[in-house]
Amino acid sequence: MLSRNNHAARIRLAAALLACSAASSAAAQTAFTLEGKPLNPFPGPPGKPIVLIFVRTDCPISNRYAPALRNLFDSTYHLLATFWLVYPDKKTTPQQIRTHVRDFKFGIAALRDPNHVLVKRAGATITPEAAVFDSSGNLLYRGRIDNLYADAGRSRTAATTHELKDAIESAIYGKTPMPASAPAVGCYISDLE
Amino acid sequence: MTFFSKRIAILCATVFLSTLVASQTFRTCASEDRAVTFNRDLAPIVFRTCAPCHHPGEAGPFSLLTYGDVKSHARQIADVTQKRIMPPWLPESGEWKFNDDLHLSPEEIALFRKWVEEGMPEGAASDLSPAPQFNSGWHLGQPDLILHADSSFEVPASGSDVYWNFIFRLPDKKTRWVKAIEIRPGERRLVHHANLIVDRSQSSRRQEKSPGSGFPGMELQIESETFDPDGHFLFWKPGTIPVPEPRDMALRLDPGNDLVLNAHLQPAGKAEKIQPAIGIYFTSEPATKFPLLLQLENDRKLDIPAGEKDFVVTDEFKLPEAVSLLAIYPHAHYLCRDMLAQTKFPNGETKTLLHISRWDLNWQAVFTYTAPINLPAGTTISMRYSYDNSDANPANPNTPPQRVVAGNRASDEMAHLWLQVLPRSSASDAQGPRRVLQEAIARHHVENNPDDFEANYNLAALLQARGEFAQSVLHYQRALALRPGDATVENALGGAFFAAGDLSQAIVHLSVATKSRPEYFDSQYNLGLALATSGQFPQAVEHLRAAVNLRPQDADAEANLGGALAAAGEIKEAILHLRRALELDPQHKLARENLDSILKDSPNP
Repeated sequence: MLSRNNHAARIRLAAALLACSAASSAAAQTAFTLEGKPLNPFPGPPGKPIVLIFVRTDCPISNRYAPALRNLFDSTYHLLATFWLVYPDKKTTPQQIRTHVRDFKFGIAALRDPNHVLVKRAGATITPEAAVFDSSGNLLYRGRIDNLYADAGRSRTAATTHELKDAIESAIYGKTPMPASAPAVGCYISDLE
Repeated sequence: MTFFSKRIAILCATVFLSTLVASQTFRTCASEDRAVTFNRDLAPIVFRTCAPCHHPGEAGPFSLLTYGDVKSHARQIADVTQKRIMPPWLPESGEWKFNDDLHLSPEEIALFRKWVEEGMPEGAASDLSPAPQFNSGWHLGQPDLILHADSSFEVPASGSDVYWNFIFRLPDKKTRWVKAIEIRPGERRLVHHANLIVDRSQSSRRQEKSPGSGFPGMELQIESETFDPDGHFLFWKPGTIPVPEPRDMALRLDPGNDLVLNAHLQPAGKAEKIQPAIGIYFTSEPATKFPLLLQLENDRKLDIPAGEKDFVVTDEFKLPEAVSLLAIYPHAHYLCRDMLAQTKFPNGETKTLLHISRWDLNWQAVFTYTAPINLPAGTTISMRYSYDNSDANPANPNTPPQRVVAGNRASDEMAHLWLQVLPRSSASDAQGPRRVLQEAIARHHVENNPDDFEANYNLAALLQARGEFAQSVLHYQRALALRPGDATVENALGGAFFAAGDLSQAIVHLSVATKSRPEYFDSQYNLGLALATSGQFPQAVEHLRAAVNLRPQDADAEANLGGALAAAGEIKEAILHLRRALELDPQHKLARENLDSILKDSPNP
């Protein structure tokens, strides 16, 4: 009796461990909401492009883009595309992200991507950098938001090209964005690994 | 990698030469492939050149004080050092060195790249030198006087750079000597640089919408005092640690002086308020040496066609007196790319004082030489600036490029080179060489810009101070033709006629000045004096009374009002004002003499 009980307990324990391992493995393949729930942005609602914007709380260039991103989101695009602000730094806590989103008035829903699942899917290397997917999750554009920065520390008075806005418009109309990529300027995501 | 190999080769050679008996093993440089570690190789560079700005409370957007800090920005650091974007240091290396040089050698830059390639090892703890300690309070201890800007200014979340001016009103009622000023600009991430300028005539106040509100503007024009009459640069940039002036070169501040902080602000993604403060450290020792700021410029030649990639502007100035060059401050706006300042000695030898091949307005600074450079009389200083007004210049404020001329707005251009020099005066004539230099540079500006208001006004003022009344009147009149009815010039011209003994002309011009600006103390006082001198006492009383109302603490105005009242027969009131003058300045000779004389004539008025 005793022996059987012990055995049963061992079995249950093993099952629990297995379940835990499966959950951990699944979690490693997703990003997370700020409440800690796994969230996969793909696929999105039919016909709605998905826009990921990779940012970092301590990157001055991505901070400086906050008003421009907010303007883009506040335009009609937020009705026609799904926007996610993606934080790839695993050391940044949900509370730090909430504060950052509030202080800089992004107004865009934020995801944590500590395992760089979205980073890899988009091929993002920089913050700030944007990726535009069709609703099925096919990458259409990856790169800078606009050309405000010619290089780190060398910015124009105002941007003269607006690659992200153009790419979103193309995706909304079902066209292939041109260009499909443009080099972003900012902070390296690989520094966070 | 090439640089790194070169560095090792040099190091090996050095070690070999200094240790001739070193073993063969050592000479083959076993360390050639030695891993670069943070603790041993990078920390000393990071602590010296990055940490002064990259620590909590300073301008750097993140700290660079630990291995973890640097590792989490490692590729970025390797990148921006390789491109010489960081640390921000504009001058090329040259014959003369500057204080606080942040320039990294090619070998130092290569270390960052190699460290990243090798997986960013931390290294042995014993190799790590202590991280620098930074003072979060006032760097030089508690200041003798702390002034806060009357109002804050909100830097917008986005948009182009903003320039805002804060006026600090000095509460002192007597002349003080300043050995140091610490500028605390507020939120340092937003302030790219700031210049503090002494306004001895309170002329900036007229640009404020309401007292204390501050006012916008990239360039400041201070009336009668063109930049800083005592010749001190009061400049702040991120990471600045204030340096006290040499003991004999204190800065004079008089009652009624204002300090104006001209701040270059950069939006950082969210709207934030800044409210700068300054801390002033006084000394009881008045200055005995008086540096001077000489300005080379050629704004008149700035007319840059759209698309022009290499538009060159030059100027040169021959020193009439020997000087020691202490510091240099180049200034242009966004189109300038290359700046060269050279000196040609009387023997024909030419040397470079400053060369900036990648000018960036955002990182402008005053560069102080580690040791003064002796420039004999007859030395010619030259500047050569090149401007890129094409769309290949990312800093170009116009898209597409537009024709650009000189001006004070960010979209205009400038071609200025300031030199802080110390005239090598003799003990018997401390001020003579300074005056000669001032007049020579003022004359140079008039030659460059015959139709420039400030150039003519400044030369006139210097000529007047030297007693050259006829010439000074000529240049005042030129200034007046350029800005008819200007109260400052009318007042100065009236003063020149007064000094030359032409009272009727003096009264004409001073009357124009007081009518156009009744709140102008100088003109009310001068007109009162001119009228009194010409025997028109009741009219003199009217204007001296206005002067006293404008500046109740001025002993001279009280004394002269007392004198004019006495002459007009208003004895009781005269005594009142003469006594008031003596309250303000017990040593006031004129007030004492007049009061004694009145009391002697009418002991019981």
